[in-house]
Amino acid sequence: MTTLWPIALITFKEGIRNRAIYGIFLMALMLLIANFLLCSMIPREVGKVAVDIALSTVYFSGLLLVFFVGINLMAKDLDRKTIYMVISRPISRPQYIVGKFFGMALLIIAAMVFLSIFAILSIFLIKLSYPGYFPRFSWPMVLLALALSTLPLILLSALSFLFASFTSSSFITLVLTMIAYIIGRSSYDVKALVESPEAAGIHPSPVTVKLVHVAYYLFPNLSVFDIKTQAAHNLPLAPSYILWAVLYGVVYTSLAVACAAVFFRRREFP
Amino acid sequence: MRRLLVIAVLIFLTTVHVFSLGKVTEGFKLLPTGEDSAFMIPAPILKIVTLDFHGIASDYLFLNSIVFEGSTYVRTERPRVKPWEWNWLFRSLDASTSLDPYFFDPYYFANGLTWDSLMVEEINHLLEQGSKYRDWDSLLPFYVGFNYFYFFQDNLNARKWLLEASRKPDAPSLYASLAVKLSYEKKYTENAISFLEELSRRTEDEALKKKYKDRLIFLHQVLKVENAAEAYKKTFDNKPADIQALIRAGMLHEIPVDPYGGQLYLDFGGKVKSTSDLHLESLP
Repeated sequence: MTTLWPIALITFKEGIRNRAIYGIFLMALMLLIANFLLCSMIPREVGKVAVDIALSTVYFSGLLLVFFVGINLMAKDLDRKTIYMVISRPISRPQYIVGKFFGMALLIIAAMVFLSIFAILSIFLIKLSYPGYFPRFSWPMVLLALALSTLPLILLSALSFLFASFTSSSFITLVLTMIAYIIGRSSYDVKALVESPEAAGIHPSPVTVKLVHVAYYLFPNLSVFDIKTQAAHNLPLAPSYILWAVLYGVVYTSLAVACAAVFFRRREFP
Repeated sequence: MRRLLVIAVLIFLTTVHVFSLGKVTEGFKLLPTGEDSAFMIPAPILKIVTLDFHGIASDYLFLNSIVFEGSTYVRTERPRVKPWEWNWLFRSLDASTSLDPYFFDPYYFANGLTWDSLMVEEINHLLEQGSKYRDWDSLLPFYVGFNYFYFFQDNLNARKWLLEASRKPDAPSLYASLAVKLSYEKKYTENAISFLEELSRRTEDEALKKKYKDRLIFLHQVLKVENAAEAYKKTFDNKPADIQALIRAGMLHEIPVDPYGGQLYLDFGGKVKSTSDLHLESLP
C-alpha cells in the first residue's frame, strides 16, 4: 500500500491538473442551469424531469471524464514513453497499474462528488420554485442513484486500463472503451430484443443470437447500475439489489484490473 | 489600414451571414418534411440507442410533442393538424412512455388530444398501459373510464375503470359515486357533466380547462332541453315534435345557445343534437 499510495496520489493530481476536466465541469454546470429552463416547460411532473436531467448530466460528465481524462492518464505514459522512467524504478508493473487505477478511481469519486453537489443544488432550487410539482420525490433515492452511477464509471476506467495494457495507442484504448461502454450498456436490452424479436419486427439469425449471448456474458452489464428511473419516481428498490449490484461492480472491476496487471507485466517495451 | 481592412471584412462576413441565414431558412421551410409519414423508431430499438439516458430521451420526446402541438395553433389552414401529424404525435408520446412508463405528463397530454385527434382507442390503450405502471395514480384509470363513457358510451368498461380509480390512495370519493351513477343509463348528460367537472378540476392546463368549460356549457344547454322534453312528455304523454314545440308549450323560454355556434334540435328519436361540428354527434 505504501508503494501504491504515491502513484495513486500523483495520478489524481495529474488528473485534476488536466484542463479538459474544467471543460467537462463547465458543460455540466451549463446543463444544470438549462435544467431550470426545461423544467419550466413541464406541465405536471417537474420533479421527475429535474431529477432526470440532473442525474443524466452528472453521469454524462462522468463518462466524458473516463473517456477523455482517464484514458490519457494511463495511455499518456505509454504514448510519451515516460513509462520507461516508471519501470526503471523499484516498483513492479502490477503495482504501477493498481496504483494508477486507484488514483483514477479517486479522481472519478472526487469529480462525481463535486458534480453531485451542483446537481443537488439544481434540484433543490427547482424544488423551491415548483414545490407542488414534486409528487414522488425522495432525496435518499437521488443520492443513491448518484452514488451507484459512480460504480460503472470506475468499472469502465478499469476496462480502459485493461485495453491500455495491451494496445499501443491511447486512441485505440479510447475506441475500445467506448465500444465496451456501448455494448455493456445495451447488451441487456439487445439480449431481450433478440429473445423476443417480434416486438421490433426483426428476424435475427441464430449466429447473431449466439453472438449477443456471448457479448452479454463477456462485457459488463452496465444497465444494472442505472436506477435513474427509480430515483425520478421514487420507486421501491430492495436493499439486496443494491448489494448485489455493488458486489457485481466491484468483482468485475477487480477482474479487469487484475487482467490489466497480468497483461502489463508480460508486455514488452521496445 | 490593416485594422480597417479587418473591420470591413468582419462587417462584410456578418452581413453575408445574416443574408444567407435568411435565404437558407426560407429554403429549409420548403424542404419535404416527411409528410404522411408518422415514423417513429420502435420502442425496443429506442431503449438500446438511448443507452443510459432513457429518462432524458423520454423527456425530450414529450417536450418535442408539446412544442409541436403548440406550434400548430398559429396555423391558419384547417384542419389545424393533419391526420398523419396526430398519428406522429401519438407515436412520439407512445415512445416517450415506452422509455419511461412512469412519466405522467405524456399520458396527461395524450388524454388532452382525444377531443381533436379522434384517436381515442389508441390513447385509451396507452392510458391503460400507463395505469399498470403507475399503480398509485387514480387519474389514469379515471381518464380511461371517462373515455369509455364519453366517446364509446361503454358504461360497463367505464364503471370498471372508475371503480379501479376509486381504489387508489389519492382517489376522491366522487369516483365511487360516479361509478354507481353510471348504472343509470338514462342519466347520460348528468353523468357527463359530473365527469367533465372532475376532469376540469384536476386539470391545470388552461387551454384544456377552456375546452372542458365549453363542453360543460354545451352539456348544460343540452340538459336544459332534455329536462324540458321530459316535462313535455309527462304533461302531454307524447314526445315533442321539435324543439319549437317546447317553447310553444312554455317548457323552454328560448332555444339554448350552442357555444360551438350550432343550433340545438331534437332528432326523430327525441334525442338532443346540435348542428355544430362537434365530436359529440354520438350523444345518446
